[in-house]
Amino acid sequence: MKAYAQPIKKLISELGKLPGIGEKTAARLANYILRSTEDDVKKLAESIIEVKSKIKLCRICLNLTEEETCHICHDTTRDQEVICVVEDPDALAAIEESGGFRGTYHVLHGVLAPLDGIGPDNLRLGELVRRINEGHVKEIIIATNTNVQGETTALLLTRMFKEKNIKLTRIAMGMPMGGDLKYIDKMTISKSLEFRRGM
Amino acid sequence: MAVRESYKTTGFVLRTLSYGESDLIVTFYSHDFGKLKGIAKGAKRSKKRFANVFEPFSLTNIIFTRKSRDMLAFIESCDIIDHYHAIRQDMEKTLIASYFIDLTDHFSPEGKKNEKVFQLLRDFLLMLGKEKASDATVRFFEMRLLKLTGFEPALEHCIVCKTPVTNGNSYYFHAGEGGIKCSACAQPQRYEQPISAGTVRTLLLGKDMDIEKIKLIALTDSLAAESRSILIGFIAHVLGREVKSLKVMEQVRKLCT
Ligand SMILES: [Zn+2]
Ligand SMILES: [Zn+2]
Repeated sequence: MKAYAQPIKKLISELGKLPGIGEKTAARLANYILRSTEDDVKKLAESIIEVKSKIKLCRICLNLTEEETCHICHDTTRDQEVICVVEDPDALAAIEESGGFRGTYHVLHGVLAPLDGIGPDNLRLGELVRRINEGHVKEIIIATNTNVQGETTALLLTRMFKEKNIKLTRIAMGMPMGGDLKYIDKMTISKSLEFRRGM
Repeated sequence: MAVRESYKTTGFVLRTLSYGESDLIVTFYSHDFGKLKGIAKGAKRSKKRFANVFEPFSLTNIIFTRKSRDMLAFIESCDIIDHYHAIRQDMEKTLIASYFIDLTDHFSPEGKKNEKVFQLLRDFLLMLGKEKASDATVRFFEMRLLKLTGFEPALEHCIVCKTPVTNGNSYYFHAGEGGIKCSACAQPQRYEQPISAGTVRTLLLGKDMDIEKIKLIALTDSLAAESRSILIGFIAHVLGREVKSLKVMEQVRKLCT
């Protein structure tokens, strides 16, 4: 990075702070920005600032939104009695894009990570507890990831809500669609057998 | 150019750190090399090569190469031996297992082989999978790890007058001096909590007792609280920092009881 002029160095180092961006990619992006038109660069810079100033968390589900409540909580055709709990807005977006879910969400904004010191106090649980206590929820679908952290979080939610009169479900784990048993790892295979279903 | 030598070992995954766009830096506690750090190229992207292997406290077979002892290992392959299914299905046990590897990480310098520490992890994870999670399991793990890594607190006798622990007497634990004092030597302040001879004896017992017998031990509330306060205080003192996974364990306990 030594060869670059100071402002470029600064841009590379800022871009390098983004997740998944190494120094090489940061340099490539910086060069792209440098070659772009003044107008395009302005749009990019403004959109970065805008996202920070305009986006807030939905009052109900903590999804990212411009309004008080997000478009999903706002939509009266969605089943408000079913809440799908996800780790972050990206997971929510992935489920939304699948198009197969017509309930609502709750975003935890994190996952239990004991080794990083992230405990229940660091997750957004209060809003979920409040919604459940209001008494209109019939089912909680726990859709945290299937690694140790996601599983531990799922166990915590189960423990917290098992006394309430609601159905608690966990997303299925196992064979990916189109998967070939020969190439699937042991853990996935054993989960597939554990969560087998009747035909 | 130095030749990369190839090595094979078994190791527990202690932690992973995201590195760049697609790689992970993985810390293991290995049988043959003690704490070992290696880079797993493409582990974040390729779900085939390293599928589900780098999960905390999983026991794995590792093949790695490296140019020299002080360089990061290059992980060629890593396969699961045991992912401790029974532990992962239980929140309390997962938190305890996480605490075990967190402590092991803190108390182990890189590259220093200690087969007994490896065996300790292996024995305790096996026991945790089979038996009920208990305070005794956690405290006895702490005692044993402290002993194996050279930080065993002096609990056999008063560190000042050397009088052996006697039933019925009260003692005071001094983390800074690494041991207990009898009430005559301790000159306790009003805020200092005494600990019973029973607690001291329990910890001494747990340090060496046969692993198979640990499941038979159930600490009373006061014994559990006293031994906890001694060991947690001592560990924090030795490390000079709090242990994150312990803090998380406390938070969960508070929420779920
Ligand atoms: Zn919402
Ligand atoms: Zn004394």
